[in-house]
Amino acid sequence: MTTAIVILVLLAGAYVVAVLEGWATNGRLRPAGPALDAVALLGRESVVTRSSDRIFFEVGPVLLLISALLAAAVLPLSPGLVVTDLATGALFVNMALAFVMVALVMAGWGPDGVYAMVGGWRFLGQLVGYSMLIVMPLTAVAMRAESLFTIRIVESQGALWNVIFQPLGFVLFFLAALAVCFLPPFDLPTAPGELAGGVMAEYTGARLAIMRLARMVLVVTLAVTVTVFYLGGWIGPVLPPWAWTLGKSLLVAAVMLFAGRYVPRIREEHFLQWFWKFGIPLALVNILYVGIVLLVVDK
Amino acid sequence: MISGARQAEPNWFHRMVARAMARRLNAFVVPGPDVARALGLDIEAAGLQVVDTPRHASVLLLVGELPEGLREAAAVAYAQMPRPRAVFATGTADVSPLPEPDVSVALDQASLATGIQELRRAFAEGAFAPEIEDFEAAVVQEDEEDEEEMDHGHMHHDHGGEGQEEESEEDQEDEPEEEESGEKEIGEDQLENFMSMIEMTEGMPASGDGLIMEWVPAPYGPLFPGLPGGLSLTFTLDGDTVAGTEVEPGIEGHIPVEILHGPVASIAERAAKLDPLTPVVYRWLACRAVEDASGAQISDEEALSRVGALERERAASHLGWAASFGFLIGDGSLSQRAAWLQLALLQVTNIDEVGLIKDEVEDFVRKALRTPFLGSKLGGIGTPEDGPEDAAGPVARAAGSEKDSRSEDPTYRNLGFYPIVRDGNDALARFRLRLEEIAQSLDLVLGAGAIASTDSPAGEASSGTGTSTVETPRGTATLDVTLEDGKVISAELDAPSTRNARLVEGVTVSREVADALVGVGSLDLSPWEMSR
Repeated sequence: MTTAIVILVLLAGAYVVAVLEGWATNGRLRPAGPALDAVALLGRESVVTRSSDRIFFEVGPVLLLISALLAAAVLPLSPGLVVTDLATGALFVNMALAFVMVALVMAGWGPDGVYAMVGGWRFLGQLVGYSMLIVMPLTAVAMRAESLFTIRIVESQGALWNVIFQPLGFVLFFLAALAVCFLPPFDLPTAPGELAGGVMAEYTGARLAIMRLARMVLVVTLAVTVTVFYLGGWIGPVLPPWAWTLGKSLLVAAVMLFAGRYVPRIREEHFLQWFWKFGIPLALVNILYVGIVLLVVDK
Repeated sequence: MISGARQAEPNWFHRMVARAMARRLNAFVVPGPDVARALGLDIEAAGLQVVDTPRHASVLLLVGELPEGLREAAAVAYAQMPRPRAVFATGTADVSPLPEPDVSVALDQASLATGIQELRRAFAEGAFAPEIEDFEAAVVQEDEEDEEEMDHGHMHHDHGGEGQEEESEEDQEDEPEEEESGEKEIGEDQLENFMSMIEMTEGMPASGDGLIMEWVPAPYGPLFPGLPGGLSLTFTLDGDTVAGTEVEPGIEGHIPVEILHGPVASIAERAAKLDPLTPVVYRWLACRAVEDASGAQISDEEALSRVGALERERAASHLGWAASFGFLIGDGSLSQRAAWLQLALLQVTNIDEVGLIKDEVEDFVRKALRTPFLGSKLGGIGTPEDGPEDAAGPVARAAGSEKDSRSEDPTYRNLGFYPIVRDGNDALARFRLRLEEIAQSLDLVLGAGAIASTDSPAGEASSGTGTSTVETPRGTATLDVTLEDGKVISAELDAPSTRNARLVEGVTVSREVADALVGVGSLDLSPWEMSR
């Protein structure tokens, strides 16, 4: 039952995120847009390129969806509403998100198209850049909670949300979350002006529908992750806990979708350079800072 | 039934899907959204969603008259589009080898909107049909044969705007045996024929970092979304670095300069067809050349009016470039606002309306120049290895040159014109310079006080030779004409994009593919004025 509820919430969230993305991209708010798009895509031919690597081509979009759903499985929407409350929950999120890279490399290689292939390899490079900025801020979050249980992490923010307690970690994790979702300005694998859609360029019909759904679910999952780890999860007055989680997550998702609209796409070399040269030292500073505060001030 | 209907016995489900499709029509634009905007079409406002690849399109939108080369590229793009698909022509008479358009309208915004309504009806009623016709254009067959010859593993990739092979799910269902053998090939034959990277790259040249990788030819254009519509490049990719570049000189079958041959009275009309991106410039260029030949003088009012029209076009052209460039670099906000302002500026009918739009444009320029991370995105990109000596227009002026033929024009001097010059010689300098020129051009338009375009040359032209020089939005263009008995019998054009195209190799080779595209985009080439 819980699993069904979580999946339904994710799908509903993905729908809202799709509406928001349409608004961010075209400046038009069309609530029925994603539904019409989905129906239209299902009615269109699903083309397979002649020299495609069929296994990679078919598995890529599905794996992307699975990785997003897996990551969401350990994220609590309210104290009792989590698919599985693993002892290694925070690490499990990281593990599940690692498959995003595998999915995109497969989707890039599968169609035997140069734009798609470059897009896939670009995301491999992107993973090298952002992966430490997922793990290291999570370490600081787990240090405060003294646990990797995601429910415990939310409870640890009862007095003060992590976004206030460790703002540096929040900024780094948020940027990394944007990169995981390949949203602008980190949309290197899809880059419409440079790769004509990149990893998504060769997908049509039902396969494209799955790919787009997977991406939207991924955005929702990352937004919930940010909410759980930094924005106090379900904590909030008056409204029921699940409503707080959903409200905060949608707000995060909206910021994720709109933030990149006003800056140019980052250059690949700068992405790696900045995330490694500045991001990792700052993440270490964040861990050190959180450690000192926990050992000295909180005592 | 639409020409590219999908094969199915229409039932309630298909009718529902068809109605949904009719409400969400995605268009792949030929030659490109930049040309559509320059011709005053606001595609999205009319109800079509523009997409970046034919794979995601349900409508092939043809804009204006298309040269043979673009029609063939459009046929390949059409073949790539999944069914149901339709052809929508706006001001396009000859569409061969494409199928007859499902809807054909005149080239204006109102007709576009009307045509889309018609297209929606056609989709809702005829997206699915029990019997369909195959699309078998010779150019598509040739392209597929070339693919087969070159295809071995991942050695050759040819996607996006160009030739593409495909099979639909229906095709696969028709040929189960072939599909089965294909599956077997993946599982067993590939393992048997496995080649190591050392074997695969044996004898190939090494990259700059010493690694030897496969080099992959990648077509960019003539319908690539990040480049000007019609511009065709082929990058040889070494990983994601450009190892070599070939530029197609102009568009095959495009109207040659010989179109100017004929009666001088109608030369402006013919000249406007030379480049759909800047028709006013070419009208003026042709009229001035004829006037030079006949020794005719124009009044000060006429001269001011021409300056007003030309500067309005320059501002609109630079805004159009900013919209395309914003799309290329991923700055959606910049791209959308520039596109909106370009269309608004093209729609103004009198000088007062220019005054009203000027504040908006200046606000846009101010904000665009302050875009975060622009320096890191564009700085040092697009710098030609051989220096800017051959460059024209904003490309030259962004490299410190004061080359601008307007400086020698008395009408411009009286309006207080001075060339804007910047150092940098990179994409950032070109971006800043063009934005500053937009504001300057609007000041000149307001100073000129009129924006009427040139319809015909002044005076009675009979025989002689004449030369004219005009500073187009892309640089100095020069036209030489010879007249005999009131007719143009020879014409020779030196256009700036031909000169700037020589810089393409220098701004792309050894660059990461995105940086290479930014370098090309910053040159603002018009394939229409490039000589073949």
